[in-house]
Amino acid sequence: MRILTAVLRTIRNSRRLATGLVILGLLILIALLSPLIVKAIGGGQDPIELAAYDKWQVPGPDHLLGTDQFGRDVFAMVVKALAVSLQIGAIAGVISTVVGVIVAFVAGYKGGWIDNVLSTFTGILLVIPTFPLLIALSAYAKNVSLFQVGVMISIFSWPFAAKTIRSQVLSLRTRPYVDLARVSKARDLEIITTELLPNLLPFIGVGFASSALGAIFGLVGLEIIGLGPGGVIDLGQIIFNAIGTGALTLGAWPMFVVPIALLTLLFAALNMVNIGLEEVYNPRLRGVAGE
Amino acid sequence: MTAEAPPAVAVDKSQDSAPPSGVRAWLSRHPLAAYAIRRFGLYLVELWGALTIAFFFFRLMPGDPVQTLIQTLQQNYVYNAQASTELIARYRHEFGLDGNLLTQYLVYMQKLILHGDLGPSLINYPTPAQTVIMRALPWTIGLLGISAVLAWIFGVIIGAIAGWRRGKLGSAIATNLSIALSHVPYFFVALILVYVFAYSMGLLPARSAYDSNIEPGISLAFIGSVLKYGLLPGLSIVIIGTFSWILSTRMLMVPILGEDYLVYAEAKGLKSWRVLTRYALRNCYLPQITAFGISLGFIFNGNVLVEQLFNYPGLGTTLVTAIQQLDFNTILGVTDIAIFSVLTAVLLLDLLLPLLDPRVKYWK
Repeated sequence: MRILTAVLRTIRNSRRLATGLVILGLLILIALLSPLIVKAIGGGQDPIELAAYDKWQVPGPDHLLGTDQFGRDVFAMVVKALAVSLQIGAIAGVISTVVGVIVAFVAGYKGGWIDNVLSTFTGILLVIPTFPLLIALSAYAKNVSLFQVGVMISIFSWPFAAKTIRSQVLSLRTRPYVDLARVSKARDLEIITTELLPNLLPFIGVGFASSALGAIFGLVGLEIIGLGPGGVIDLGQIIFNAIGTGALTLGAWPMFVVPIALLTLLFAALNMVNIGLEEVYNPRLRGVAGE
Repeated sequence: MTAEAPPAVAVDKSQDSAPPSGVRAWLSRHPLAAYAIRRFGLYLVELWGALTIAFFFFRLMPGDPVQTLIQTLQQNYVYNAQASTELIARYRHEFGLDGNLLTQYLVYMQKLILHGDLGPSLINYPTPAQTVIMRALPWTIGLLGISAVLAWIFGVIIGAIAGWRRGKLGSAIATNLSIALSHVPYFFVALILVYVFAYSMGLLPARSAYDSNIEPGISLAFIGSVLKYGLLPGLSIVIIGTFSWILSTRMLMVPILGEDYLVYAEAKGLKSWRVLTRYALRNCYLPQITAFGISLGFIFNGNVLVEQLFNYPGLGTTLVTAIQQLDFNTILGVTDIAIFSVLTAVLLLDLLLPLLDPRVKYWK
């Protein structure tokens, strides 16, 4: 309950955070309603079936964004793909954040050699360029499900979350109220959950948003090279199709402009959440006169 | 990696008695040297760790490059019978795939460290992988290096001004645009640029790195062609990169603005431009130099896709081709180079920073 009120107060205090969350909420809503929207577009038939309509139709009242090389309705595809992209962000975001939080707490709270080993390891993982590994991993795993790709992506994205949170744990650990809790014989786990966790929520939020961002970009990147998981269409794959089928030269701009615009909106919203949280926590960033 | 100071060396407390001798005492008298040595040690550990993780990662992947090579040879009718065991064994040896995993690892590391040898590449067998990589490297260094540095310079300058003139319309626009666009993949901008300038207007080329009709060499025509072909991919990196540097510079700038020494400088009647450059910016750009080193790895990630789109003959395109053909040695080589560049850049910056910035103290 205390956590909830803290969250609400935080959101009220930052216009940027609120904007980001509203945009994110709208996108999630579209994703949740995507089956219904797709049905409505199809009007009784599946608009994403091969040869559902004539191919390469220009945008018009029947097809808001035209159709692709297989005669699929681009608008329906985009809506459905948005849901897939958000899913991968959520899966990888949750996994990375959980792993990152555990590593950060163990390292930051225990300190000593454990911290040294974990921090060095995290540092090492941070400098390995993840994209080659990710490409390689998916090149071998042709028939992976979306969830497995999410797990693969989180293997590479937890170090960043861990690093962000660890530095905060270190600064919180030495605060007087934590000492007080220690002196009053509270158990480690108790201190972590009641004293540290609520104060770290914004940073955990930042870690989550960054990991989700990275994961969505990772999947888009894989699709653009033509290595995404089979059987699902995400926004990256629509862009890949657009490049592969010469939509650029045919002037079928909705096929790549709309997915790019949607992803840009999504990245912008996640970034607003990130920066909003940082500003809430570090009032000096807000400066004297707000913006 | 950078922000955390390694644990301080135990300082010898017996300084007031006879001057102590020995390594430890010398180190305690030369904190900077002690820090440099420790930092270099950490660098070696990180380098070794990252190279090792990369090696085992790719070795534990399923897929057999030797089989792939033999299939390719069969498809090209080099020989149509089954490959003999001897042949396979020879190839395995050449690719460094004989013996158990530990032996392979030791042999690989030994070759890499002592001879800079990565083994033969599959893409252009029997060319060594390092030759394939060296061919691609200048293109990537040119495209990525110039674009990244330009983005950093633009971003720090604009970001400082945006923080300085906080509350003005222009800086609000710059800040909000940066928030919206700083995390967009370069690739998106590249795609839009290609659509507008290459397809719709037909102004600029959208593929490869120079006009194939021009003989490569040190000639005006060739250099002009390289610049013309590099403009779109470079621009896409510069645009997004600038936005993200604007954002982080502004974040560093805003907290400084309330500091007393700035108020004092203003009160002295210094010109506001001078206060910005001499007083405020000086405290911002140094941390950004370190951040630049760390960001190289991330830029490389995005660069892979941009090169792929433009079919630019750099490391990114080489990497994707190598992965499609299971060319382990080249993949690993590209990864190793990226690891080495990022770690070395950060190390150099970490060693230089205490000399540039008296406030940075990594030692007690």
